[in-house]
Amino acid sequence: MATTALDPRPNIPSATVRLPAVKDYEQVDREIIGTLKPTLGWFALLAIAVLCLLVGIAGWFYQVYSGLGVAGYSPPVMWGVYIITFVFWIGIGHAGTLISAILYLFRAGFRTSIYRCAEAMTVFAVMTAGLFPILHLGRPWKFFWLIPYPNWRLLWPQFKSPLVWDVFAILTYFTVSSTFLYIGLIPDIATLRDRETNPVRKRIYAVLSLGWRNSDREWRHFTRAYLFLAAFSTPLVLSVHSVVSFDFAMALTPGWHATIFPPYFVAGAIFSGMGMVFTIIIPIRKYFGLQHYVTLNDLDGAAKMTLFTSLVVGLAYLTEFQIAWMSGNQYEQDYFWNRVFGQWAWAAWIMILCNMVLPLSLFSRRLRRNPAWLWILSIFINLGMWFERFVIVVPSLSHEFEPWQWTTYAPTFVDYSILIGSFGWFFMWFLLFCRQLPILAISELKEVVRPRLKHGGGGH
Amino acid sequence: MPGLVGVFHELDSAVNAIGELRRNRFGDITVYSPTPRHELEEALEAPPSRVRVFTLFGGLAGASFGYLISIWASKYWPLVVGGKAIATWVPYTIFAFELMVLIGSLATVYALFGLSRIPRLTMTVGYDERFSQGHFGIWVATTPERAKEASDLLGRHGAVEVRHES
Repeated sequence: MATTALDPRPNIPSATVRLPAVKDYEQVDREIIGTLKPTLGWFALLAIAVLCLLVGIAGWFYQVYSGLGVAGYSPPVMWGVYIITFVFWIGIGHAGTLISAILYLFRAGFRTSIYRCAEAMTVFAVMTAGLFPILHLGRPWKFFWLIPYPNWRLLWPQFKSPLVWDVFAILTYFTVSSTFLYIGLIPDIATLRDRETNPVRKRIYAVLSLGWRNSDREWRHFTRAYLFLAAFSTPLVLSVHSVVSFDFAMALTPGWHATIFPPYFVAGAIFSGMGMVFTIIIPIRKYFGLQHYVTLNDLDGAAKMTLFTSLVVGLAYLTEFQIAWMSGNQYEQDYFWNRVFGQWAWAAWIMILCNMVLPLSLFSRRLRRNPAWLWILSIFINLGMWFERFVIVVPSLSHEFEPWQWTTYAPTFVDYSILIGSFGWFFMWFLLFCRQLPILAISELKEVVRPRLKHGGGGH
Repeated sequence: MPGLVGVFHELDSAVNAIGELRRNRFGDITVYSPTPRHELEEALEAPPSRVRVFTLFGGLAGASFGYLISIWASKYWPLVVGGKAIATWVPYTIFAFELMVLIGSLATVYALFGLSRIPRLTMTVGYDERFSQGHFGIWVATTPERAKEASDLLGRHGAVEVRHES
């Protein structure tokens, strides 16, 4: 009998990760599947999320009945909370794809433990964002007119319009990111199927796992397909927020008409998404006792990424001012002055404080490895990034070329209720997800755990 | 074809068993593992996945369709603005790109399903629920005459269970 000692090499996405407290594959199954049991806290959070959603639905029905005027829009400020929140949620989604796809290609170790959570966050954030252009329509039931298809009206959309670009970009992004999430979930659903004792749930998992059986043939094609999906998602994530930025940059409005917008929006999106990842993953880690999976090293790595994107965003803010100053364009200069020292100074300074100043604390290694601080900071980042979009949208529209057009804007209770409803919608889906499907990737975590060996030495 | 399935606790035992099965010219071997492992892939010397071909052609078809639909629709329903070109490739590259990603990704998933032979309505012979947890499995198709030889080989390499299935 020929036997050879084996020194198992780590698999691709997890080259630098070590989880010393995880001893074997069975422990991974036991602990991750253990998070699926419903608890009183989960029901309470779900009830709050559904309540928020109902508030949003009520606001929307009122708006459909009364018309868009109840949402606080009056010329020339015809974009407000809805577009701000649309860009905000699209941005949140970007960190999920960054973590699951881009960091996969770069072999970043800290990705393994947090990517499933981030990926689910992406899908639900895009589902939330996708509602806003429809909510913003006077006749929302006609939204499908934007989709090009042969129709009896013999009409086709204007392919040079950024709004049609948006439709293509966001539908593609939603389809690809949800496909990417589902493909990654298939082996884990198969694990759930094999562990489940309830016959109804077992049947549901059997259908969802598509008869997956962990064979070498399946893994061989799976790893290759996953790599290509990651390779497609990487430029996609950059393109989607670039296209969203074109909604603004293609207009001649002061403050919007800038070539810096695509990279500025992409960096901001990743930054805001990292903030939401911390907001979600830190309580999950604590609540389920998963500190030995989502380690301080992982949080440290994600915090460095957050710091980097914060610096890029800060540079973009300063570059905007420099461009306005050097352009010699009086409207552009007035607009930027008004943004920071005039009518909208309070919003601009919230943005600068939350997105440029507070994240500088992440230069400290101690703070990067302090989950409580990371969570508090993440709330400021979420707030700051919502205000960034406010500062982009509202000051430009309220301070265009003609002084007689200068005006102000204040959201109404309908805006606020729909904003609250969007958080309810997002968290409702997220909470349902984390009770039915593993919030940490079981099969990828097993790649990090040293397999049991007979002759390799040090096997468990 | 009938065969045997061996259940292994240890990765190296499974790798060694695969090596010896291949040296002894046993045909059709399928390996089950809770997570993909390079060691198993190398022991099997499986050919590279053909998923890439579908990805390439899906991406090219999507990009072509993106240009085609936007140029055709612009010419079919011209929106003439200030003497500007009716069909122009620069903004239409957005459609080409998005559809390249969309169709390319869906073609990749189609290839994954087709080549892996999923969705599968019933579990094939040889599968054991332990293979999604912590055990490794080797299914080897044998004739009844060589079944004993294969069973002994798997047992020698440390299989915790060997059973006949057909």
